[in-house]
Parts: sequence; structure tokens; C-alpha cells
Amino acid sequence: MNKVITINLNGVAYQLEEGGYDALRAYLDNAARRLEGNPDREEIITDIEQAIAEKFRALLGSFKTVVNVKEVTTVLAEMGPVEDASSEGAASASSARSDAGQGRGAEAGAPGPECAAAPGARRLYRIEEGAMIAGVCNGLAAYVNIDVTIVRLAFTLLTFMWGVGALVYVIMAVILPAARTPTEKAAASGMAATAQEFIKRAREGYYEGMKSFHDKQSRRAWKRKFKHEMRGWKYGFHRSMAEQSQQWQQNWNRGPQGAPPIAGPVFIAPLLSILLFGLVVLMLWAIYSLATSHQFLGVALPAGMPLWVGILLVIVAYQLVSWPIKSARYACYFPGHYRHSGPFGGLLGSLIGLFFLGFGIWYLDRHVPEFHQWLVELPGLLHRGIDAVQAWFAKTT
Amino acid sequence: MSLEEKFTAIRKGLLEFLVLKIISANQVYAADILKELNATEFATQEGTLYPLLSKMRREELVDYEWKESESGPPRKYYELTAKGREALRETHDYWQKISGTVKNLGQK
Repeated sequence: MNKVITINLNGVAYQLEEGGYDALRAYLDNAARRLEGNPDREEIITDIEQAIAEKFRALLGSFKTVVNVKEVTTVLAEMGPVEDASSEGAASASSARSDAGQGRGAEAGAPGPECAAAPGARRLYRIEEGAMIAGVCNGLAAYVNIDVTIVRLAFTLLTFMWGVGALVYVIMAVILPAARTPTEKAAASGMAATAQEFIKRAREGYYEGMKSFHDKQSRRAWKRKFKHEMRGWKYGFHRSMAEQSQQWQQNWNRGPQGAPPIAGPVFIAPLLSILLFGLVVLMLWAIYSLATSHQFLGVALPAGMPLWVGILLVIVAYQLVSWPIKSARYACYFPGHYRHSGPFGGLLGSLIGLFFLGFGIWYLDRHVPEFHQWLVELPGLLHRGIDAVQAWFAKTT
Repeated sequence: MSLEEKFTAIRKGLLEFLVLKIISANQVYAADILKELNATEFATQEGTLYPLLSKMRREELVDYEWKESESGPPRKYYELTAKGREALRETHDYWQKISGTVKNLGQK
């Protein structure tokens, strides 16, 4: 049993299995991307939709009303990748590339126009809403679709092993872009494109449909059917939005979009970016120097303080220093929109919380022998646990 | 490298010429063009043909008119414009010249 999604291709409703719908969406989005800048883009896409519709129609009969995933894939393979005839050179290059959005996490660091996230394709981002530090865990959790707490726990545990977790975190925080626009936010958890695009498409289908009916009666019937369908789509779309991104939606409204930057402050923004970059380099250098020689600029770690606490301190210091710069830069780009997390608001509050947690563990480790004993035994315990699971797994298979 | 691969670029370059030829015979619908092409070495897919047709229309080589169809919504039927016929004649002559050269080169 499979879920069926009703779509409108040039004014005719088709029912596709869910997987088929995803494939078709990816194909059409990809086509739209390939035809970027082509003056006839909309028209070509309409033509292509009509061709697909005809192929679907040939497959259906009175007892077969749903196009299944395999049939959709076959039809799309028949259609072939859309190549822009007006850019000759690009045509052969693009045909060599594979179809649907495969630009995944690996390229996340360099989002050029080529690998700009295809809607529906998942990409790794930092998600700053609801983040504790920089949103790395949040982004990872959305990417692999598991609870944030588990990811945070994993990072914390990894941090106990010579600070690996903290190091990985810092590196990811620097490398990963933050999801800011709605599209990026959607891509962070692999959701479909925006509602506007969705509705625009549907409207076009509606007018195309109107063209093909000539008497009043069938037009009216079509109108009714279309309205009914639109309601269904809107409902489905909003529900999935609400499910997957409750926090985001509030931010979309006052988010980066639609706030035109003012010319003056924008000149300052690159300077601030350079400053921030310098800070990041300084922080990385400090961490590196701490990790290799246990000192930074001649200041050695206090006796007895483990390395990872030192690294955590450096990160906290970085956050403290960079916060005003970041918020100033944010204000430059989006005047009138202030970040809701002040220095002692959500972001830093949780950061201080994390710091105290780390400090508490360190303190307990030094002054409570039982806790120290437990920490020392922890790796062994973990190993035994893993061995037990492995033995159990070997027995069952 | 097979011959097929070697001639990919050439086939691509000739596609517009062939489409002009097909449309010149009579008013056709995109699927008819594909059917005709697919019986030859120049097999093409919608993904390539539609952008090409729209480019040709922008260059005023072809034009289309909507025609009713028994099954489904109206279809675009393409025909050559005067400019398109001129382009076809020129391309045809040029092609004759090239194929003549290919034939005659190396023969003493």
C-alpha cells in the first residue's frame, strides 16, 4: 500500500505514488534550474509537463488510475535531462552530470551556483534557531533526521575523548554555512521548495486548463475541481511545514528576506566579516597550540586542567568576543531586525550553561574521587558495552 | 571510444538542421518530430527537443499554432516561417558542400 499524491499537469489531474511525485518534482525543479536565464523557461517547462502528462495518460486506463514509482521513473528516463539549447557549451557538460540533486553535504562548504541546493535535496547547514552554540548539532540532527539531544550527547561524549568532539564541532561551525533563507532551511531537512513556488505552479496549471475548455459548464466543473485540489495541496503543504519546522515559520516572516539592505552600513559588513575571520583563525590557532604544546602565547594551562576544558574556554572566549561583531554584521545586512538572543539571552545563556556543565564535570573530577574513578572506568565500560552488543549481534545473525 | 561517442557533438550540431527539415515537410507536433528522429541515429529526448524548439522559435525560424486533439489538451503544431525556410535552404547547401568535401578528399 502506498500513499498517492494528486498533481496537476497542464490542467489535468494525475495521481502518483508518493515516490513518483518526489521524482517528478526533482526532475521539474532540475529542469527549471537548468533553464535559469532562458527567456522561455516557463513555456518550455509547460511543454515538458504536457509531454509527461501525455506519457502518463498512455499508461492509465479505467482500472488503472495511479501512476506508480517505476512508471514515473521510466517516463522521466524517456524524457531525458533538460538541456538549455541557448547555451551550447554548457549543454554537453550538463548532460554528463547526473540528474536529480546530488549536491550533498560534502560540497556544503562551497555553495556555487552549480550545486545550489535543489529543493528537496538535503544539505548540511548550521541551524541557528534553537541552537546552543552555533547550531551544528541542530543542523546535523535535521540532516540525519534524529533528535538534537542525541547528537548533542554524542558530541559531549566525544569531547571526553581528548576533546575530539569539541574540535570537530569547532571545525564544522566554521565550515558549514548557516541556513538563513527559507530555501536553505528547507534544504537543511530535505523538504520541498517554498509555498510560493508551489502555488505559482498550480495557478499556471489552472489557466492552462481553462484554455482547453470551451463551454461554460466544463469550465465551471474544472474550476470546482481545481479549487478542491488546491485546498488539498495547501493543507498537505502547511501540515508538513508545521510538522517539520515549527520554529522556523515564525522566523521566516521577519527573517532576512524582504529587508532591503541600506547602502551605508553594508560597507562595514565585509570589514566585520574579515574581523570575524581573523577571530576564527585566532581561535583555531589557540586550540591547535593548546593541543600540541599545552600553552598559548606563553600562557600555559593551569595545572591539572584537562585539555578539553582549555579548548572549551577558548571557544567560550571566542563566542563572547565575536557575539557583538556578529550581531553588528547581522544588523548591517538586515537593518531593523535584531537578533532575539542577546549576550545573556538564549544563545549565550545556553553557552554559559554548557560551560558550567563542563566546569562542573572538571571540578567533580578533581575533587570527588568516586567521580574520577567512574570517569577513568568510562572508556572500559563503553568498550564492554560495545563488545556485549557485538556479541549479541553475532549470535543473532 | 565508439563511433557513436565520437560523433556526439556532430549529431548535436546537426539536430537543428534535421528538425528544420522535418518541420518543412508538414505541420508537426513535437511528439511527431521525436518519432521521426528516433527511427534514426539522431534519437533525441524531450528534454533536449523542447528547449531547442523554443530557441528556434525565439530566432523566428519556426512558429506554432494551437490545435485541438482528440485526447487531452490542445497541442502546439510547428511550421517553418519564411526565415526558417531560408535558414533551411542555406543549411542544406552548406551541408551539401561539406558532404561533398568529405566524399572527395583523399580521392585522386
